[in-house]
Amino acid sequence: MTSDIRHKKMLTIDAKNVDFYYSEFHALKNINIEVEKNKVVALIGPSGCGKSTFLRLLNRMNDLIDGTRMTGSVLIEGKDIYAPNIHVDELRKEVGMVFQKPNPFPKSIFENVAYGLRVNGIKDKTFIEERVIESIKSAALWNEVKDKLNKSAFALSGGQQQRLCIARALAISPKVLLMDEPASALDPISTSKIEELIYELKKDYTIMIVTHNMQQASRVSDKTAYFYLGEMIEYDDTIKIFTNPTELSTQNYITGRFG
Amino acid sequence: MKRFFEKLVEGALLISGSITSITILLIVIFLFKEASGLFNSPVIEDGYVLAFNKDNPVKKLSSYQIKQIFDGAITNWDEVGGKEEPIEVVRLSDLTKYYTEAELGANFENIPAKASELTAKHPGIILFLPNSYIAKNFDGTLLKHETLRPGDFFGGKEWYPTASPSPQYGLLPLLLGTLWVSLGAILLSLPFGIAVAVYLAEISTMRVRNFLKPVIELLAGIPSVVYGFFGLVVIVPFLQKTFQLPVGETGLAGSIVLAIMALPTIITVAEDAMRNVPRAMKEASLALGATQWQTIYRVVIPYAKSGITSAAVLGIGRAIGETMAVLMVTGNAAVIPHTLLEPVRTIPATIAAELGEASAGGGHYQALFALGCILFIITMIISISVEFISSKKYSK
Ligand SMILES: Nc1ncnc2c1ncn2[C@@H]1O[C@H](COP(=O)(O)OP(=O)(O)OP(=O)(O)O)[C@@H](O)[C@H]1O
Ligand SMILES: [Mg+2]
Repeated sequence: MTSDIRHKKMLTIDAKNVDFYYSEFHALKNINIEVEKNKVVALIGPSGCGKSTFLRLLNRMNDLIDGTRMTGSVLIEGKDIYAPNIHVDELRKEVGMVFQKPNPFPKSIFENVAYGLRVNGIKDKTFIEERVIESIKSAALWNEVKDKLNKSAFALSGGQQQRLCIARALAISPKVLLMDEPASALDPISTSKIEELIYELKKDYTIMIVTHNMQQASRVSDKTAYFYLGEMIEYDDTIKIFTNPTELSTQNYITGRFG
Repeated sequence: MKRFFEKLVEGALLISGSITSITILLIVIFLFKEASGLFNSPVIEDGYVLAFNKDNPVKKLSSYQIKQIFDGAITNWDEVGGKEEPIEVVRLSDLTKYYTEAELGANFENIPAKASELTAKHPGIILFLPNSYIAKNFDGTLLKHETLRPGDFFGGKEWYPTASPSPQYGLLPLLLGTLWVSLGAILLSLPFGIAVAVYLAEISTMRVRNFLKPVIELLAGIPSVVYGFFGLVVIVPFLQKTFQLPVGETGLAGSIVLAIMALPTIITVAEDAMRNVPRAMKEASLALGATQWQTIYRVVIPYAKSGITSAAVLGIGRAIGETMAVLMVTGNAAVIPHTLLEPVRTIPATIAAELGEASAGGGHYQALFALGCILFIITMIISISVEFISSKKYSK
């Protein structure tokens, strides 16, 4: 990669020579990726190629799995997130995550969104209330839930639950938003709502999204990274990847000719 | 052919299932039947009668009143609803104070006549005699057919089955002893149990857990005498020294031993409940910047709440029914406990200790069965509440 660019401009995400192991299994091999502020990056590639693994490295979610090991470095806004002086919980407030399956807490809609604020030690009721409403609005969920904020989050549909999880992640104002197949369990209407949402969120956040849906990747992202068997085969502007990929493997994958 | 086998297996299962259910039902019926005789049993010892002067307006006395009269706690008839008149307690052996041995006869053949005479002459008398010494034409009131009242059992403050002339079958000291010891046990074991469960489920590494969990489960299988023995040689002397007690065998010793015994159950059940908290819930919390502790008390414990409650209730159940260990360390004084630093006696310990010496069919025997019924009802309430709590888990 061109190292002079890095010096001119602070990158939001900068992964260098990342290798990752689940015990003996070498899941990521020498990954290098640079993401600028307010860009959307799509991670694509066949199942098991390491997309989720890479995403979970960026908020150190993989720390929770016993026996994992990482080499290389990941900088977020210039800070090495694997440095010993980093507090993992502080990092996760900066790097929000939306999971593949909606996972609201068994609490009310309001409390779900307020959770991140509360664990941050925020007690100011009016601030929490404003922030919760704002986040639900940003997640394009407000009209559907405004009358039932005290109802259980489990009473929402799958698509609504996923947008609630997005609202929950937005409430603590992260800088980066990681989304692991956020629309894979949803119907086309919910999916398009989430895509519109990503487009809106781009103004304020840097987003990295994993998807199996090529149209989705081409619609929402500025840049696309293609992963295959733990390696990053190609990383370029989305338009380039989808119209004129350098690698044959990439072309085969996006055209569905993948074997 | 296959169908036939299926039918056969089905039939066998049905038969064994119904036989088991019927057996259990019969045991319960037997328990209650034996106990029900209690309120038909006489308030005074079998084969004896109490006699009063026939002008004495008192015709009935409760078991506890009789005991107090003979203990000298009640000395005047007006205290039990009679006239102002001092009570004069006379037992068989006291007759020699009123009559010479010659008057009573060489073979005591004159006792019936003299007893009748004495009763007629003394207005304040209460005479306690074997049935056989009561003459046909006895001149006085006989308290013969009085039976135990429910209040004497359920509200009775003393358990003293060998008291003469009126055995005391008061439930309260034993019930309170049981509840105190169990409550103490649960207050001790619940915080520790939940702490260990949290540690095992959320904090320890896989290797530590895989070692500790089977060890803890093994502890549940140790016979209770062993725990009792441990309590007797370690906890009892320890308590005696630390609290400067006259005796170390106290309710607290029982609570501690029971707490240790209940711990494996509480830990195992609570830990299972916490491990059933979906990984996605914990990850959601951590991904929002919550620390591990915040995740534990804001997500894991609330999510596992019903399981933890079941753990507590099962622990209480174990504590309430436990016999041997408690019998060994609590001192077994059947008095209403005021603090946990006094000797107490529990229901199961009482049954175990006394059933051997109670004659079948007698009042004491029936009273012990009634205690068994009380225990049965308590444990039934506990299991119903477990059922209720765990069914709530699925309806949410
Ligand atoms: N906890 C784990 N322990 C061991 N190996 C794992 C673990 N999680 C993932 N792997 C392995 O790492 C590789 C990459 O997994 P990952 O979940 O990152 O794939 P993915 O690209 O997200 O796939 P998908 O599109 O199916 O979600 C796979 O081969 C998987 O088997
Ligand atoms: Mg994945």
